[in-house]
Amino acid sequence: MEVSDSTLEHLLQVTLLPDLTGTRYEIESEIGRGGMGVVYAARDPDLDRRVALKVLEVPISGEAQLIARLEHPGIVPIFETGTLPDGRCFYAMKLVTGVRLDRYAAEDHTLTERLRVIRRISEAVAFAHSRGVIHRDLKPQNVMVGEFGEVYVMDWGVEAIAGTAGFRAPEPVLDQLSDIYSLGALLKLLLPTPTPPALAAVVKKAISADPDGRYSSVSAVLGDIDRFEQGQAVEAWSEPVWHRIQRFASRNAVLLWLLTAYTLVKLVLFFWRRF
Amino acid sequence: MDADTAIGGPSGRFPSTRVSLLEAAASGLSEGALDQVIALYWKPVYRFLRIKFQKSNEDAKDLTQGFFASALQRDFFARFDPAKASFRTYLRMAVERYAANEYAGENRQKRGGGVEFESVDEFEIATESPEAEFEREWRRQLFSLALDDLRTHCAETGRQLPFHIFEDYDLGDRDRISYSDMAAKHGLPETTVTNYLAWARRTLRTFITERLRATTSGPKELHEEMRRLWK
Repeated sequence: MEVSDSTLEHLLQVTLLPDLTGTRYEIESEIGRGGMGVVYAARDPDLDRRVALKVLEVPISGEAQLIARLEHPGIVPIFETGTLPDGRCFYAMKLVTGVRLDRYAAEDHTLTERLRVIRRISEAVAFAHSRGVIHRDLKPQNVMVGEFGEVYVMDWGVEAIAGTAGFRAPEPVLDQLSDIYSLGALLKLLLPTPTPPALAAVVKKAISADPDGRYSSVSAVLGDIDRFEQGQAVEAWSEPVWHRIQRFASRNAVLLWLLTAYTLVKLVLFFWRRF
Repeated sequence: MDADTAIGGPSGRFPSTRVSLLEAAASGLSEGALDQVIALYWKPVYRFLRIKFQKSNEDAKDLTQGFFASALQRDFFARFDPAKASFRTYLRMAVERYAANEYAGENRQKRGGGVEFESVDEFEIATESPEAEFEREWRRQLFSLALDDLRTHCAETGRQLPFHIFEDYDLGDRDRISYSDMAAKHGLPETTVTNYLAWARRTLRTFITERLRATTSGPKELHEEMRRLWK
């Protein structure tokens, strides 16, 4: 059968739209596309709610059920996994509205706010690791920041065919340390320029090419971020003396101002009495 | 009808039992595997030769025939290494080498005489590269064969009406009418029309997948090809 260019284009479109026969969902529209599959907005008429439906061209890993049981404020809940009539696998998950992390990073936000976002991501990843789940493909496209500041990490446990350059750890077999590499890359993306040296050191340690050179856990990354925010020395950086003094002065500014004022008053009184 | 369309001709069987290219070749079914390859690749190879080497219609047909005839004799499948490239790339490179060798032989026979290229028809002058044209023709031929499979399957299973609805709605080049207008045109409920279309599209996708399975080395390459097809 001869197929014209316009018919071919049309057939490519209609065979791509997933056939949801046998599922509870009705397709609405395509909302995103990546290396692993396509995400659609769909409707669940039984519960009268909208969902995000990710249709994958690669099989869902054996961890799918484990992932579906992850309950954390920073993890997009999966309602259901299944197989379409054409053999493709799908996830039905909460439809999150907001901006992707790469777009968020390009917007105007304070360092404190940016660190809050990376903290929320890290907490979600730490929780998953505590349940034995590895993300495997942490990248800006898999993190959404909602309009009220809520942060969601999506697409757990589905390893991308090619990975995303700059965010995927170099080792061929991915484990928890690989997620730490990706977290470091996300932190790097979020940090402003010029980057505070202590945070640059945190990034450098997290994205070490040698897995043994990275933080041993996500909690350790969070610990260094906490220390930075509290004005303490981060473990990833042996800071120079002048920087230590500067940090001390910054942390104890009020005390130093009081001491200076006290000294000045004493000096004034001293000279006043003498002359 | 052009010789190429006859050679690439339709398959009349539901292809649910197709195995991968390497499985077929490993089982000693090289000729069967080659049949699948020829059905899908005859036209893309022919188009590629016409544009890349500026061959006339007849010369391109002869070269294409010659390439596939020699493929069986030259242990074509045994040399394919899926770790190095997709089968499609491997085949295109093999065609290029074959055509270059034939060109060299032709030149030797003419003892240095200049080879005269026949001018290609105006409509044959492609704006795309020969490689892109090869890809586009592969995609077109894949759908064309899968549509033949679907038509045959419908005829064999008494589903002429769903195919007729699908043909009328999805295969026409004119502006598409609404589902409700289509339902009124055929005197059917709208849900029946949408169900028929959904079934036909789903089954077409299955046939496409099976055609791809027969011309790829295994699940990994199959998924990669499916990803490329619908990219």
